[in-house]
Amino acid sequence: MALEPFAESRALTLGVELELQIVNTHDFDLTHGANDLLRLVGKRKLPGEVKPEMTGSMIELSTGICRDYAEALAHLSEIRDVLVHCANRLNVGLSGGGTHPFQDWSQRRIYDTPRFHMLSELYGYLSKQFTIFGQHVHIGCAGPDAALVLLHGLSRFIPHFIALSASSPFVQGTDTGFHSARLNSVFAFPLSGRAPFTLTWEEFSRYFEKMARTGVVQSMKDFYWDIRPKPEFGTIEVRVLDTPLTIEKAAALAAYIQCVARWLSFEQPFRPAEDDYLVYTFNRFQACRFGFDGTFVDPQTGEHRTIREDIAETLAEVEQHAIELGAEDACRRVRDDIGALGNDATWIRQTFERENLLPEVVRQQCLRWSR
Amino acid sequence: MTGDTRSALFFLPAWPPAADAVLWVSLTLVIAALLGEFVYRWLRLPRVVGYAAVGTIVSALDLGLGPGLKPGLRSIVDLALALLLFELGSRINLRWLRTNPWLLATSLAEAALAFGAVYLALSAVGTDARTATAIAAIAIGTSPAVVMRVASEFEASGQVTERMIVLTGLNTFYAVLASKFVFGWLHAEYIGSLVRAFAHPLYLLAGSAIVAALLAFSVSMIARRLDLRNENSTLLLLGMILLALSITKMANLSTLLVPLLAGVMLRNSTERPWIWPRHFGTAGGALVLMLFVVTGSVWSVDTLLEGAVLGAAVIVARVVAKLVATTLLAAPSGISLRQGLALGVTLMPMSGAALVMMVELQNLYPEFASQLTAVVFSAIAFLELIGPIAVHLALRWVHEENLR
Repeated sequence: MALEPFAESRALTLGVELELQIVNTHDFDLTHGANDLLRLVGKRKLPGEVKPEMTGSMIELSTGICRDYAEALAHLSEIRDVLVHCANRLNVGLSGGGTHPFQDWSQRRIYDTPRFHMLSELYGYLSKQFTIFGQHVHIGCAGPDAALVLLHGLSRFIPHFIALSASSPFVQGTDTGFHSARLNSVFAFPLSGRAPFTLTWEEFSRYFEKMARTGVVQSMKDFYWDIRPKPEFGTIEVRVLDTPLTIEKAAALAAYIQCVARWLSFEQPFRPAEDDYLVYTFNRFQACRFGFDGTFVDPQTGEHRTIREDIAETLAEVEQHAIELGAEDACRRVRDDIGALGNDATWIRQTFERENLLPEVVRQQCLRWSR
Repeated sequence: MTGDTRSALFFLPAWPPAADAVLWVSLTLVIAALLGEFVYRWLRLPRVVGYAAVGTIVSALDLGLGPGLKPGLRSIVDLALALLLFELGSRINLRWLRTNPWLLATSLAEAALAFGAVYLALSAVGTDARTATAIAAIAIGTSPAVVMRVASEFEASGQVTERMIVLTGLNTFYAVLASKFVFGWLHAEYIGSLVRAFAHPLYLLAGSAIVAALLAFSVSMIARRLDLRNENSTLLLLGMILLALSITKMANLSTLLVPLLAGVMLRNSTERPWIWPRHFGTAGGALVLMLFVVTGSVWSVDTLLEGAVLGAAVIVARVVAKLVATTLLAAPSGISLRQGLALGVTLMPMSGAALVMMVELQNLYPEFASQLTAVVFSAIAFLELIGPIAVHLALRWVHEENLR
């Protein structure tokens, strides 16, 4: 299958996808509720879409194409309200979070579509362990070459997005010590990681054709890269975020990415280079493991600072763009998070310390999601 | 040498050896556990079918247990049911009935229709109105034991499972109150005292609610300090339920209502999830096994000859009524037609709780009860074996079982 042409989209438009956990309200373990929710939601008109995901205890919602933070937030809250209403009728809870803190992966059932069954057979236990929940942010690009330049520019900021969204400290009932343990599961997949360093669509198509010829991939869907082009939408898709515990944070993170993208496209503060990726996996690991306290190595200067400091500097750089995009509120939220508030992983740990019962933590996550 | 008058071989046991109750109980445990595993491994059916089959065989061979319930066995039934009802009650979230009033409507409809259908079916074949009413009242309830056992054995989860649990809790509640009311009212016709008809159910409800509240309150106090998932706390919890049960018996209250209400109160008093090992660990598991053996053994060849036809009529009328309610209200309550059908089937089992209601009637109004025993015991005998299989197949049909 050839690579599809890169569709037209308005530059710097936004789209948000969130994968959500469906839990029972008895012991707050994951439960198979996707079919029931989809049936109820199907009757309602929504600004975006609600779709099944890999397992029956997961559901994905996506906004329509949004201009800015306010619109993304409006879409998200409208979809959220409908979903929560339907979930209440079914007595199931909906929750954010990159992992379910204590689910037993062997219990998960694969959602009944041919593609999911194919994936399940191919990846075996990985696909069930892949019961992880992420946020994807689409950024519209003026053209395919611009998309690739933006993709490699944004790669530098991947640790920011990981640390800000991290909400998966617990896996299978134990504290992993990571802020985002979810990404460890993603890295286990053979085609995860970063996109090849190509700055033109022509070059990228050649890479894709070579890969397709080996038979390893059939379509863009087979790549689990941290950021990947989505030619079908004419966007690039940032995929490293854990699903946050609230839609407000989800919208704010999308807006922050939009601001950085605008700054990169308009001011071109640095030219992407292959060597930027020398520190890529180091930085990414630091963000997953330590959150804002992780070390950030500047790919250009080799300077070391904390991810918190680098986010603060970036916020200062993009300030004008945030004003242009109407994302001041979003940036204020990001600033609060790197300040006293901390990310959702920290909230989950603190809540567990207080309650000492993971099901109670999940219950409070559901509360945060629904209001 | 003072003579020992005993024979030289006095240490040998008498012949034939005298077996005590412990022997029978342990033998039952061994055989039931083996048969349960056989049924599960080879026939892919719920283990409880094997347990009940042991009881069925004991009665078929006429080994002198039934019909009816000996006081010693009654205690086992009460204890096991208390554990299961408490567990079931603690899964009932009353807020769900508010957010989804159609679920409450389903509950009321399936109970009312089951009552009406059983009454009409029995009347149609010439049963007198009083007997028909009493049997219909008992037939409202679904077996909490079967429902909880099968659900946990196959690790079922999903809409049908959740609704099955809620509807079972509610219809058990209705059945206890309705049967007490009906019995009292029928009795009032003899002696002309309507006070008794109303006073008894009222006393039961109020008294049971008070004991239940005490139990729920003490459990929540304990849970504040201890982790209920820990084995020792589980034993403590088990002990408290048994204690509450003995108080219930002393006060002549309902051994079904108290644990059920206590579970519901616990679940709805705080938002924090309550988590303990299912059936309260191994001790509870052994009691549950005995419960199924005992309920499997209440019939006798005579009762079956007398009541089999009517018993079958009751089963059919009841399941049709429940199916009508759950399928008609499936769409408004937010489930598919298939799920509605499955839900109706899962409400079919009738066992321990019906047995207890029947036995209580026997104790209160022996002459009247004798007219019901054949029919009710026959229905229980059938459903004891068919019921768990029906629940299992229905849950599998809607893909809610999670066994690897």
